[in-house]
Amino acid sequence: MGATMTAKSTAAKSTAAVSQPLPLAETHTPADQAALSAVLADVHARGVAAYPIGGGTSLDFGLTPATPGVGIILTSLKRVIDYPARDMTVTVEAGITLDALSKTLAAERQWLPVEGPQPHVATLGGLMASAWSGPRRYGYGTMRDYVIGMTAVDIRGVPFKAGGRVVKNVAGYDFCKLLTGSLGTLGVISQITLKTRPIPERTAFLVCELPNLEVAERLLAAIIDSRTTPVAVELLSGPMWREHPSLGVLTPGSMGRLVVALEGTTPEVDWMLGQLAAERRELDVPTAHVISGDAATRLWETLNEFPGFPDAPLVLKASVPPSRVTEFIATVQAADPKASVQAHAGNGIVIARFEGFAPGDISSTVLGRLRPAAQLSGGSAIVLSSNVEGWTRQAWWGGIGAAAPWMQKIKQQFDPGNLLNPGRFAYDSTGA
Amino acid sequence: MISPALLPVANELRRLLGDENVLAAHSDLLVYECDGFVIEKNCPDVVVFPRTTEDVAQVVRLCNAHDVPFLPRGAGTSLAGGCLPVGGGVMIVFTRMKQILEINLRDRYAIVQPGVVNIWLTNALKGTGYHYAPDPSSQGACTIGGNVATNSGGPHTLKYGVTVNHTLGIEAVLADGSIVQFGGPVEDAPGLDLTGALVGSEGTLAIVTKIWVRLTKNPEGVRTLLGVFDSVEDATNSISEIIGAGIIPAALEMMDQGILAAVEAAFHFGFPLDAQAILLIEVDGLEAGLDSQRDEIIELCMKTGAREVRQARDAQERLLLWKSRKQAFGAVGRLSPSYCTQDGVVPRTKLPHILKRITEISAKYSIRIVNVFHAGDGNIHPILLFDERDAEQVSRVLKASDEILEECISSGGSVTGEHGIGVEKISLMNKLFTPDDLAAMTRLRVAFNPTGRLSPAKMLPTAGACGLEQVHPGRRAAM
Repeated sequence: MGATMTAKSTAAKSTAAVSQPLPLAETHTPADQAALSAVLADVHARGVAAYPIGGGTSLDFGLTPATPGVGIILTSLKRVIDYPARDMTVTVEAGITLDALSKTLAAERQWLPVEGPQPHVATLGGLMASAWSGPRRYGYGTMRDYVIGMTAVDIRGVPFKAGGRVVKNVAGYDFCKLLTGSLGTLGVISQITLKTRPIPERTAFLVCELPNLEVAERLLAAIIDSRTTPVAVELLSGPMWREHPSLGVLTPGSMGRLVVALEGTTPEVDWMLGQLAAERRELDVPTAHVISGDAATRLWETLNEFPGFPDAPLVLKASVPPSRVTEFIATVQAADPKASVQAHAGNGIVIARFEGFAPGDISSTVLGRLRPAAQLSGGSAIVLSSNVEGWTRQAWWGGIGAAAPWMQKIKQQFDPGNLLNPGRFAYDSTGA
Repeated sequence: MISPALLPVANELRRLLGDENVLAAHSDLLVYECDGFVIEKNCPDVVVFPRTTEDVAQVVRLCNAHDVPFLPRGAGTSLAGGCLPVGGGVMIVFTRMKQILEINLRDRYAIVQPGVVNIWLTNALKGTGYHYAPDPSSQGACTIGGNVATNSGGPHTLKYGVTVNHTLGIEAVLADGSIVQFGGPVEDAPGLDLTGALVGSEGTLAIVTKIWVRLTKNPEGVRTLLGVFDSVEDATNSISEIIGAGIIPAALEMMDQGILAAVEAAFHFGFPLDAQAILLIEVDGLEAGLDSQRDEIIELCMKTGAREVRQARDAQERLLLWKSRKQAFGAVGRLSPSYCTQDGVVPRTKLPHILKRITEISAKYSIRIVNVFHAGDGNIHPILLFDERDAEQVSRVLKASDEILEECISSGGSVTGEHGIGVEKISLMNKLFTPDDLAAMTRLRVAFNPTGRLSPAKMLPTAGACGLEQVHPGRRAAM
């Protein structure tokens, strides 16, 4: 890689929702699952590659494929099939947008507490295929915890399902887990049944400014022992977080902020705000303030959108043990003092948006410093997006180790011709 | 008698693991002829007790070299015959791999060997402010390895989720004898979620040798309520009302009159014996919110026809209430010489319907059925009472079970919420899934277990020359 990396044309990426890096010879927008089956059967018969596309918000996630093929756009599969609200489950077609789903569920005071960027265009199927998650994963878990049933169409055009429409079910293999995060490589997800949750009455943030990373780790460790039950524990640092309409302006000299989100009934949230403030005083940590109402809504939006902001040479997602988050952030800052960081600190996820180095330095920075640091602590680091070209599979995904042959064996069973989203994910049927 | 072909295998196993870790005498093997599903029995040829992952890998390689089937077993509490050694072979029993390897509170995980009994982990965590959330009723006996194999639930899964929601990673010995780790203490390992795919695969894809589990913070407070109802329908309506009001109890369990008498005789809790149904409702979380949730639940229950709603006075009364619930199955012995616990799921709003149908099916087959179950999840556990010495009764029990489960399917539900398919429910898979669904599942099995030597004849109907053929329980053990 290294010297071969060049800046991509950014013109096509200015509206991230519709940017389109895939090598598409044609596109189809099937109206329903039967039409989707027909498209896939045809693609299979012709032996060409198939690229499933939801809202198109994550098409730059993963390697840019080289094999020309057919784009299958799923946004017409957007019906709500069944919403028995009292059972707290919903069955929808995979192309429904996150906003449309939220609107349906909100009518019954329910929601899916899994977040993704650009919810007005991002689809539920895309969220599942990419296993995207946001800050609330600390309190509510991730997509894999909510999908209780699904139907996908395989490369031959044959639908297959797993799970069902009940909240507890262990009949058969759990394709819901296997396909969550499979990035469209095993089948095209056409229908999804979710568990839903009641919308909490109130949401609020407690924000602490952090003089340095040492204080940050002290606070993070204390949250583990806190009597409160936060739903998100975010550590925010770097130029992009210095000023925000909800957060205000960071005090000069501070390294960043710890943002703790609390949700529940009004008495619960009020009690937690008081309790957290008291715990913070015991730790002798300065300035804290509360964000609620519209300001909280705006802050949630930014927290959801940050990982998807386009046009950075590199947005990296590292997974480390939660106790190593501050150490990893120090490594990021040493590599690029201009980097902006959002850590889902309670889960050990660090999203780092780099600004300050030339494309040619990426390989030495990612491969030479950041990824080894994550791997040394038992974790991993993958690229979320990059506006430079020339990535190899190893450079983007970092390898999947001893599990690789087993992923390949599954791929060979489900897509022996390697036609579904080839050349994009961490493995293919022929190589990892 | 060990089949002569297996003598060299048994000898080699003794050499590899030591005499003390191998059983091959028929009298020793009898214990292993079945698990909690007693309708089918078959002895393994050899039982081994590995002490390390490498032991397991060696056993698997040896079995492959001699073309002998093999399967894992934890404590043998499976109720679906998941540990039935169909076709004999080598049974790998994990009761000697029972160490808790690490507890890490800062990063909220523990590492356990598969033979660790579920409750040991929670006991080891006492005083830390954390616990391991999945709590099957058999948690005093069942192993976490077995929980992973069946994706076990328990009363508190309504709020906290089942085993897969608490499994971060696994180390496994694959069917070819290789040792691989999937996932681990750090979240979001790149690539496919094979941890998620392997949990609940009932030992048919891999043999789990180490498990990374998520630890859950203890709730600050808890309120445990006992709702007493004069009709089953009122009780089930209360469940819908509570959930419909946006309250997710930590647990919401139901016992009907039939089981109450036995439970009361065993535990002397003071249950009203004339009640048609009781609900055990527990809410937990921050103290700040609990009293208002409790009051709302009491109001909803009274509105839907509860005779009374009591609150457990103290921790001791709460424990007795839970003991009564979790050991209810043990009390069934007072009602009948044998019993078969079924495990179906319906959307929770269909509970009144399914319970009415169970009453009808009970009358149709003249089999007494009592109910104790995870009502909040719609996960029913009808207990069919019979005498296993009477073959004609056994046949009626099987028919009644099938009819209940088919009714679950037609109500939009499933044939198992937490016990697994095992051998017991293979014949129902064709009714729940299409041939295409089953073919996809078979592809996953072939990827991991191409020879089928690992846990043969489990979970999926066997693919015969003319496609998928149905094998009914009772015929398989002789295979």
